[in-house]
Amino acid sequence: MSADKDSPVVKNAPLRWRSKIRPSDAIRNGTHGLRSRKGRTFLTAIGIAIGIASMVAVLGISASSKADLIAQIDRLGTNLLKVEPGSDIFGDSAALPKASPAMVRRIGPVESAASVSKLGTSVQRNEFLKDDNGIAVLATEPQLIDTIEGSLSHGRFLDQETSSLPVVVLGSVAAERLGFNSLDSTPTVKIAGVTFAVIGILDQSELNPDLDRAVFIGNDAAGKYLGAKVVPTGIYLRANPDHVETVRSVLPQTVNPADPNEVKVSRPSDALEARAEVDKNLQNLLLGLGGVSLIVGGVGIANVMVISVLERRGEIGLRRALGATRRHIAGQFVVESASLSLLGGVIGVALGTAVTYFYAHRQGWIVAVPLAGLAAGVAIALVLGAIAGLYPSVRAARLDPAEAVRPS
Amino acid sequence: MSPVLELVAVSKEYPGTPPIRALDDVSLAVDAGELIAIVGPSGSGKSTLMNVIGTLDRPSSGQVLIEGNRLSTLTDTGLAGLRSARIGFVFQQFHLMEGSSALDNVATGLVYKGVRRQLRLQMAAEALSRVGLGHRLDQKPPKMSGGERQRVAIARAIVGDPAIVLADEPTGNLDSHTSTEIISLMQRLNDEGSTIIVITHDRDLADGLPRQVAMRDGAIVADTADVSIETVAARPLVGVGSSNDMTKRTNREGGKQA
Repeated sequence: MSADKDSPVVKNAPLRWRSKIRPSDAIRNGTHGLRSRKGRTFLTAIGIAIGIASMVAVLGISASSKADLIAQIDRLGTNLLKVEPGSDIFGDSAALPKASPAMVRRIGPVESAASVSKLGTSVQRNEFLKDDNGIAVLATEPQLIDTIEGSLSHGRFLDQETSSLPVVVLGSVAAERLGFNSLDSTPTVKIAGVTFAVIGILDQSELNPDLDRAVFIGNDAAGKYLGAKVVPTGIYLRANPDHVETVRSVLPQTVNPADPNEVKVSRPSDALEARAEVDKNLQNLLLGLGGVSLIVGGVGIANVMVISVLERRGEIGLRRALGATRRHIAGQFVVESASLSLLGGVIGVALGTAVTYFYAHRQGWIVAVPLAGLAAGVAIALVLGAIAGLYPSVRAARLDPAEAVRPS
Repeated sequence: MSPVLELVAVSKEYPGTPPIRALDDVSLAVDAGELIAIVGPSGSGKSTLMNVIGTLDRPSSGQVLIEGNRLSTLTDTGLAGLRSARIGFVFQQFHLMEGSSALDNVATGLVYKGVRRQLRLQMAAEALSRVGLGHRLDQKPPKMSGGERQRVAIARAIVGDPAIVLADEPTGNLDSHTSTEIISLMQRLNDEGSTIIVITHDRDLADGLPRQVAMRDGAIVADTADVSIETVAARPLVGVGSSNDMTKRTNREGGKQA
């Protein structure tokens, strides 16, 4: 009986013997039931998996969407400012002083600036058409293209020479509405009956959608061919990124020293940032729905565990006979329930990540799966499983061992 | 030298109207190295007695002592500790885990002693070869015969070298040929030093064992050792039970004095 020599059994035992179980065995015991009932384990874990997957997907998709917007904002820069006339105290639209573009350029950290002046006229493809198509005619300066960091899909923008010639550059939407998609046919448009040659078409401007719906002529040409009085209705400017707020604060005084209150300064990129926040409510709603399915999953686990305790009366009795304390039995079922839920959590995290990847990929977004969200998903599943296992495990621990070992 | 198991005026009542008296003033002493049958018809209280001896249930009155320790002084957790170290169980319905190998089933007998897995498996293999299943370590219970399953259960009971092996109707689910095999295995283990208490309704089986305690209506009606509890307390230290007691004790080293 060499077993006796190796046996750690205490001989001449003291009055009390203590049951003890190694942590690794507690986990082995706790997962034994799951391993021997694989089908049931999988089906029960699915409930949790769906809840976790939907939460991870909601977080992942909104994070991806946000990451995409932020990348867009980073690319476009947050240092573009726009100055517009505000309303005067009577509610009428005030004008910007004629000298204001030059004043703005004099502010130190302003890297470039360009004014636009809305002319009270419209543009048509030919003299037979009257509809203005919702297109504004703007007189502007050549610096505009650099200031808004715009680009052209066709042709070129206005420069010093062409600013005083009857030529026009079309915004992307304006070009579409007027029916031009190339310059191959040397197109022309009519502005107040005067023929202007189209020399360029702009790309879409992500920060300034109003510029997409405009056509641009030079300030000099506006005076020369249309007899218009050029009064700035807007100034676009790029500030040094480190001094955007400073520039912003001095702009009203600079632009209109007489009436700084009648100057409105905005930052076009703010609109994008707002969009990144705007779906918070929807996100919370979806997270709530995910939470509900998690609770349903948790109740499912509790149910299955209660049934499991009833079915395994004999095993519980045997373990008690082998020396398991009530605590050991309770622990076994809590570990089992938590492992079951953990399994669901892991499946759910994988599923949610896959959904996020698929959706973001289809939207052409950057895939951003928040790692903290994944960890939280697994942790929530683990805690939920342990809680769901509490009641069944207490029932298991309370079983009378003499009762439990009896043949049923 | 005190007995390994001692019951002093043990009674057990279950509540009801009128209360059911499952054990009625039972006194019994079992020495280390004995092989004893507790025999009686169903309803005689032998299952209750087995639960009380196995510390799965507490008596309503009276004292149970295992190796001199009064069980009434132990908490529920203390009793579990005692079972883990000093009592091995064999059940009529085997209570084996179907999905686990014979080796793992036997090793489970050591889990609540905190024995590490490697050593557990080694001890389980030795226990299995002691019951003649050294060649079927990896077999799972559904692929085994009833006799083999009960051998696995016996191996699980003896693997921790308990002070008492309690077998509750160990042959209840077996045919007579297999039953004989199981009983002779018990006799062999007893020869090797194990103290074994067999609870059975089978008169013939009981007659084959060295000592029989007969029960009826919750009370002991006959004991072939034929000593009342008073004489047990007064008897000399050596010399009770069968003649080879001393050699058994040397084999089983000294866990018996408390």
